[in-house]
Amino acid sequence: MADGHLLIVEDEPAMATVLTEGLAARGYLVRTVSTGSEAIAAAAESRPAVVVLDLGLPDMDGIDVCRQIRAWSEVPIIVLTADGAEDRRVDALDQGADDYVTKPFSMRELLARVRVALRRRPLSGPDEAVLTVGDVVVDVAHHWVSVGGVLVDLTPKEFDLLALLARYPGRVLTHRTILAEVWGPEGLNHTEYLRVYARALRNKLGEDPTRRRLLTEPGVGYRLVDRAERG
Amino acid sequence: MSDDTGGSQTSTTEVGPARAPRQSGRYSPGGSRGWLLGLGVGLALVAAVAASLLPFRSGISRATPALLLVLPVVAAGILGRRIAAVATAMAGAAVYSFAFVPPYDRVSIAEPEDVAALVVFVLVAVVVGTLMAVQTNRRQVAEDRAHQIRILYDRNVELSAERERLREEANRVVLLEHLDRQRSALLRSVSHDLRTPLATIQAVASDLRDDVADPGYPAETRQRLLGLVSDEAERLNRIVANLLSLSRIESGSLLPERQAVAIDELVSDRLDKLRRLFRDLSVVVDLSPGLPLVNADYSQLDQVISNLLENAARHAPPRSTVHIAAEPAGQVVMVTISDEGTGVAPEEREHIFEPFRRGPGSASSGVGLAICKAMVEANGGTISVGESESGGARFDFTVPLHA
Repeated sequence: MADGHLLIVEDEPAMATVLTEGLAARGYLVRTVSTGSEAIAAAAESRPAVVVLDLGLPDMDGIDVCRQIRAWSEVPIIVLTADGAEDRRVDALDQGADDYVTKPFSMRELLARVRVALRRRPLSGPDEAVLTVGDVVVDVAHHWVSVGGVLVDLTPKEFDLLALLARYPGRVLTHRTILAEVWGPEGLNHTEYLRVYARALRNKLGEDPTRRRLLTEPGVGYRLVDRAERG
Repeated sequence: MSDDTGGSQTSTTEVGPARAPRQSGRYSPGGSRGWLLGLGVGLALVAAVAASLLPFRSGISRATPALLLVLPVVAAGILGRRIAAVATAMAGAAVYSFAFVPPYDRVSIAEPEDVAALVVFVLVAVVVGTLMAVQTNRRQVAEDRAHQIRILYDRNVELSAERERLREEANRVVLLEHLDRQRSALLRSVSHDLRTPLATIQAVASDLRDDVADPGYPAETRQRLLGLVSDEAERLNRIVANLLSLSRIESGSLLPERQAVAIDELVSDRLDKLRRLFRDLSVVVDLSPGLPLVNADYSQLDQVISNLLENAARHAPPRSTVHIAAEPAGQVVMVTISDEGTGVAPEEREHIFEPFRRGPGSASSGVGLAICKAMVEANGGTISVGESESGGARFDFTVPLHA
């Protein structure tokens, strides 16, 4: 299998068919396997660009698959989870998954996540001086933010939070990740900080509640998206 | 010899304070009221004896009133304490010497013989009265004990009833917790089962509807995807049927309407409906020629076979073979469905028909086999799991012949 293909790990035959057909029809090269051990072997031998991994597999826990792949590979992993399993989602993200899609999902949602994963920067990647997510511009070097060309005044923590989210546009960042990056180790248990700062940030960005840039992922974390790309 | 019933009351009080008030009335004969009663009755009898003998006092022996006057002392001894007996004896002696010993109507005695008679009377009266009082007291104490024992016994019975009730209560709590866990397990597996086909339907529907990102599927792919939607909708329907059956089993309203059923027709009909489930598998049907009719509820038998076939399809590796066979065996027909999957571990076999059991990573409802067992048994048959020739799972169940 050529480099740049997608590896799909799904044991439900019907869902595997839908994913394979849907992604192949968009021009992606697709390889599909149905067990965790096959997935680990396939990820090692064929170097996929993105792994789409169902967490409920017959032979092993999808979270273990995540951890094992992550032990030696930086490949972006999108996990498919069942609705109502926030804990599993957070576990998967903590064990190295980059993002998740909750079943049932629309094909458009999955395609958007795959696109984000394909152009993602690793969490340890180099910082850029100016980050742009849609109409939000964050100049990290000169410490200013503009929305639609208008400068916005942010407190230092608000700025750090926005800069972190803007570095990974479209990707979910967990509460833990954000707290550790912005507040340091002593902030880890204070998810209430996030609620307060997210609300302040939304106000200052002039958010339209029906078309938000800063999305809450309940029980998991936050995600900054390009409004135009969301359609 | 203690005639104090207060002691026994105290020990009774320790057993149950609620019972103490009743006892003060019941145990009064030895108490102050009993003493007064004994004395009153004794004096009244002394008066009565004296009054009835008075007209004849000159005509009768002096021993007669003496003997008769002992009776009030006995009565006082029985009813009251010794003190009542002694007091009555004194009163009797006074009356005797006053009314029946000459000179009459004076408390003086002329004859030394009469002094001896009076002393004997007093001694006899006191001894008899005392004996009666002691006797009465003993009986009283024995009754007290008996009563206490009865109370203790009653109390003990109550306590064991209470213990029994508490034990039942504890059992009920354990049972309720078990039911609660089962119910949560059911909810979890049901939501998982319903969501799996729904996720496929949703993904296809959203994909085909979405004009903006229309990938322009070839007609053939489009048909395939729509076929999946239809299959998954069918699967949802089977899950719902199983859930309805489960609720009927739970409420005890799974009443089979048994009639003559041709198993071969039922099997081929069901296989036709499930053929898409077996598109990557081969199915070998082995029905004895001239298979007799069985006596069963058609739709329940259909659901049993459907669940077992779906179970086999789910566990069979691609391109393997699923066998379904039926043959007469005495008064029943034995139906066997086997696959070439990984089989059921021996230690799992006894639990596999319990509700909410599901193999590791299994996409099954966890209720299908429980429903099979309930339905087979409701129709007078038995079901068991074993190992097929290839090491896969093998399910055997029986259905009684139609008479």
